[in-house]
Amino acid sequence: MSEFGPSPLPPARVLVAKSSLDGHWRGVAVVARALREAGFEVILGGMLRPSEMASVAAAEDVDLVGINVGGRVEVVERALDEMEAAGLGDVPVFVGGTVPPQAVPRLTDRGVGVFPPGSSLSAIVDEARRLTGRDSPAHRV
Amino acid sequence: MIEHQPETTSGIPLKLLYGPDDVPADIREALGAPPGRAPYLRGAYPRMYRDRPWRIFQLSGYGNPEDMNERLKFLLFEAGETGIIIKHDRMTDDHLYDVDHPEIVERREDVGLTGTVTVGLRDYETILSDLPLDSIYAKPGGGVPQSAVYTLPSYWSVAARRGIPLEKLAGTGQSDFFLTYLGCPTKEQIPPEAAIRFNLDLIEWCSERMPRWVPVSIAGYNAADSGLSAHQELGAVMANAVQYLDMIAARGKVDVERLAHRIGGMNFRVSMEVFEDAAKLRAARKMWSDLLGQRYGITDEKARQMRIHVVTAGSAMTYQEPFNNIVRGTLMALFSVLGGTQSLGVSGYDEAMSIPSDHAHLMSIRIQQILQNEINLREVADPLGGSYYVESLTGELEERGWEFFRQIQDRGGFLAVLDDGFLLECAEENNQRIAVGMESGERAIVGVNTHTIDDPIMEVEAFEGRSGAETWEMAMERLADLRRTRHGRGAVEALRNLEEVCRNDSVNAIPAFMEAVSADASIGEIGSVLRETFGDWQVPISV
Repeated sequence: MSEFGPSPLPPARVLVAKSSLDGHWRGVAVVARALREAGFEVILGGMLRPSEMASVAAAEDVDLVGINVGGRVEVVERALDEMEAAGLGDVPVFVGGTVPPQAVPRLTDRGVGVFPPGSSLSAIVDEARRLTGRDSPAHRV
Repeated sequence: MIEHQPETTSGIPLKLLYGPDDVPADIREALGAPPGRAPYLRGAYPRMYRDRPWRIFQLSGYGNPEDMNERLKFLLFEAGETGIIIKHDRMTDDHLYDVDHPEIVERREDVGLTGTVTVGLRDYETILSDLPLDSIYAKPGGGVPQSAVYTLPSYWSVAARRGIPLEKLAGTGQSDFFLTYLGCPTKEQIPPEAAIRFNLDLIEWCSERMPRWVPVSIAGYNAADSGLSAHQELGAVMANAVQYLDMIAARGKVDVERLAHRIGGMNFRVSMEVFEDAAKLRAARKMWSDLLGQRYGITDEKARQMRIHVVTAGSAMTYQEPFNNIVRGTLMALFSVLGGTQSLGVSGYDEAMSIPSDHAHLMSIRIQQILQNEINLREVADPLGGSYYVESLTGELEERGWEFFRQIQDRGGFLAVLDDGFLLECAEENNQRIAVGMESGERAIVGVNTHTIDDPIMEVEAFEGRSGAETWEMAMERLADLRRTRHGRGAVEALRNLEEVCRNDSVNAIPAFMEAVSADASIGEIGSVLRETFGDWQVPISV
C-alpha cells in the first residue's frame, strides 16, 4: 500500500466451465473473451463434474469461478458444496446460462450472481471485477 | 456526415430501394422455371401447399419413456401434429453413456431434462407403444452420428418385432456433423472419420431396404445457430453434401444419382433476419440443383430436388419477457413458409430457459395451424418470387455461398475444416460481432436491451419435468432390470460381433447394431465398443 492508493493486484484468475454435458459453447466463448479483454486470466475448464469443478479451481488457484449452466440448479449446488468441502468456500462463484427463473433465488441466496441469456457483457465483467476486488479504477485495463 | 450503412446479419449491404437491375441474370433465368422444375428456385413441388401443407414437425421429449410416449400420443392424436420427433436426453444418448456412468452420476438431476432417457431397446418399445409405426412419419432421434447407429436400429427393431416390414417405414435420420463437431461438441465423441463411415453405412443400408427413409439429414440449422452466417451456412452445407457424395462414389456400391435425392432432404435455420433467410431457402434449392447437375452430371431433375425442413432460431428466443417469443416464432414461421419449406419446427417461447412446456409446445403447433388455415398462405406458390429485393438477396447469398464453399474445398474439404477449427473460428467471429452489437444497442432486442422495464410482468416458469433425480433413479432401476433379466451371453456375443464389424470398414455396420440392440445390449455398452474402437475426437475449440 502506498500513499497513492492500493498497489495494482495481479490479474485475477477465473475458471470458466460448464456444469452440464450439453456442449453448447457459444455463450461461454463470448463471456470468456470479454473477461480476457477486461484483463482477467481465463482458465477454460470445459465440461466439468461438480467434484472436478472444485479440484480444478484448487489446482489452478483461481480467484473466481464462472459456471455455464445448461441443466438443473441442483448440479450447480453440488459444485458449490464440493468447493466448500475442498476449503474453497471463499472463492466467489457466478453463473450464466439457462437457469430456470424459479431456481434463481436458490443461487442468489448463496451469494451466487446469476446472468441469464441476454445479460450485458459489461454487467458480467463489472461483477467479476467486484467479486475479485479489481473494481477500483487502478485495476482497469 | 456519412450515413450509417445498414446491412443484414450476415453482412449484405441493404439499399433503400431495389429495382430490376438488382436481380442477377441467372436468377432471372431461374425464375422462368415453375415450382417443381429445376433449379427449383420457386419451390420443390409443382402445386406446393395446395397438394400438401408443410409438415408440422416439432421437437419434443423429456423424462422417462412413459412420459415420452404420453407426450407423443397427445401431439399426434389430439394436438394435430403430422409427424413425430423423439428428442433424447443429450447426456446419455449423445454420449452413449449408461446412467451409472461417473459423468452422469454427478449430474443425475440433469438426466431427462433435454429429452427422454433410454437404457436399451425395451425403452423404445415403451416410447413407441400404441403408435402406428406403419403410417407415421418419424424422426426417432440420433442427432449425432454415434447415437444414430443406436437410435435408428432401435426404432427399426421395434417395428420389425411388430411385424412391420422395414420398407414400409417412413421417416428421417439426422447424424449431423454440424451439431456434433461444431455446434455442441460433447464430452466424448468418435472422430469425424468414423462418423462418416457410419453415415455412409446408413445411406447404403437405407437405399437398399428402406425407400421411404431419409438416412441422414444435413442440418444447416446447427451451423447457423452456432454462429455461421447465412451464406456460410449454404456453403458449408454444400461442402458437407459433397463429402458424402464423393465418398459414396468412391465406395462404388450405390449409384450417386439414385442417392442424391436421399441426401437432398436438408434442414436450415430461419432467424429474425427473415428476408435474408427466406431468400436463403430459395438459394439453397437452386445451389443444390446446380451442384448436382454441374459437378456430378445428374440430368434427372427429380434427383436434383431439395426438400427443406426449417427450425426457427432458438437463439432468437429471449429469456426476458418470453411471451414476446410467440411473435418472433410467428414471424420466423411465416418466412420459412414464404421460402418454401416442406416441414417446420417452431422453437418454444420458453426456449431460452428450458425444453418446451406442454403449453409452449402447443403454442408452436398453433402458430403453424393458424398460418395453414387462417391467412390463405397455402394457395399461392412462391409469393416472394420476383421481388427485386428478395431476388437480389437470393443472388447475393448464392454467390457468397459458393465463395465460402470454395474456401472450404481449398482448405482440404469439409472434414478438414471441422478438424482444423476453421468453421469454429468463423462462428466465433460472427458471435463476437453480434455480442458487440447487442452491447452497443445497435442490434436491438425488445425487452432485452431496448424498451426494458424494471418490474417484469411477463414471467414464465421453466419446465423442469420430474423433480430432483427421479428420472435418473427410474432409469437406474430399468438398467438393473435389463442386466438382470436379459440373455447375458447373447448380449456379450452381439457386442463382440459389433466390435469386429466396427474394426472392419469393408462391411456395413448397421446389421451388427440391429443385433446388438435386439440382444438387449445397453446404450453404454454399445458406446464402450465405439469408444474403445475409435477413440475420442480432439475438439479444436479455441475457447
